[in-house]
Amino acid sequence: MATKTRDYYEVLGVSRTASEDEIKAAYRKLARKYHPDLNPGDRGAEERFKELQSANEVLSDQEKRTKYDKYGENWRYAEQAEAAGVGNAPPPGWQDFRTGGAGAGAQDASGFEFNFSGEDAGNIFEELFGRAGRARRPTRGRDVEATLELSLEDANRGGRQTLQMQATDVCPTCQGTGFVAENQICPTCRGTGQVIAPKTIEVNIPAGVRDGSTLRLAGQGGAGAPGQSAGDLYLRIRLRPHEKFAVRGDDLEVELPITPWEAVLGAIVQVPTIEGSVEMTIPAGAQEGKRLRLRGRGLTKRGGGRGDEYVRLNIVVPPTSSDEERRLYEELRRSSNFDARAASQRKGAAS
Amino acid sequence: MTPDFVRVTDYDLDEPLTLEVVAEATGIRVTFIERLVHLGLLETIGGEPPPEPVLVPRRTVLRLRQIQRLRRDLGVNAAGASIILDLVERMEGMKREVAETRARFGK
Repeated sequence: MATKTRDYYEVLGVSRTASEDEIKAAYRKLARKYHPDLNPGDRGAEERFKELQSANEVLSDQEKRTKYDKYGENWRYAEQAEAAGVGNAPPPGWQDFRTGGAGAGAQDASGFEFNFSGEDAGNIFEELFGRAGRARRPTRGRDVEATLELSLEDANRGGRQTLQMQATDVCPTCQGTGFVAENQICPTCRGTGQVIAPKTIEVNIPAGVRDGSTLRLAGQGGAGAPGQSAGDLYLRIRLRPHEKFAVRGDDLEVELPITPWEAVLGAIVQVPTIEGSVEMTIPAGAQEGKRLRLRGRGLTKRGGGRGDEYVRLNIVVPPTSSDEERRLYEELRRSSNFDARAASQRKGAAS
Repeated sequence: MTPDFVRVTDYDLDEPLTLEVVAEATGIRVTFIERLVHLGLLETIGGEPPPEPVLVPRRTVLRLRQIQRLRRDLGVNAAGASIILDLVERMEGMKREVAETRARFGK
């Protein structure tokens, strides 16, 4: 889909007469703020950074900047199209093929292309219209990194997850060459040899993935050059915070409100676990903050077995009391010798 | 559209790789990767010093790409990039804990 790109000077927040140093400084400042590796999972930061890269790539190069000032956002195509005699109008839907965009659902696909050779990363159009005149393309398809958000229950249980993403694929018209005839640019892929197509895949998520786990799906990344293998898809797992459970490694922690009389007398209560409620015995004389362990009720471990669940007791005093309850509390106050403050001081001294 | 069913090839990316395989996967020179290993910026398999041939877990590939992106985009050196990534990871852990606490206490 065609989207109008923002003015590059506006993206970097500089004037059209900005010097090279000013442009460099502006880019570095914004890059530090929006770099995706410094903002994991932040789609907005990622989009903003892509904009910055595009703007900096052009405005930091005097030749490209001059062309951009002359032709605007279609500078790459317009001049070359005139020179090659393929028409004056820039193609509709021209877009940056460096990364795959996000598909529907909770999954993001952010394919970062890295090139250690020092050339501009992902500069596909310069490769096409540069000195060689023909496409130079990486051999193997690029690896793609994406984030998959799961609930704690889904992560623990494992099972099939459907991912929808925009992925690069070999252009079906030119079979990846970028040309349909000598010097005739493929109209489908506009010369890139690749198209971005929606892709749906199903993955069996192993039971027991954790926040930060990364899964590799071989061959599910970007399409390679003709005859070359596709890149890999790396799925980083993000767990949504749970309203009840806190994750502590393989163990779970949950807070359990109990009444004062349950703490004093002991009780059998229902306690939530990740698979539903279970009964648990609160021993008589339980203290605020005491942690009781439910063995094997924690998270599934990758190598087998389960962690434990720790139930932290939270004694909750009723906010209001009936007349009868107040009478009973008064009687308890008269008959009990327990001094909480003295007991606390003794405990503090002992530790 | 019937989705393709794909298999997880590697979980937590523990698969041991030689530095040459990592170099091919990332387009980075082996000598540079060796330097990062020597500086302790990349995880190796088999203890310190790592036995020959040096093997690294596959997740090192992702870490390496992150380091290179930070070098390329922000002008930091490899050691600085490694520190930044460690700090970001710690920050993400703290953010998750705060989010968990907020979710539990409704704040």
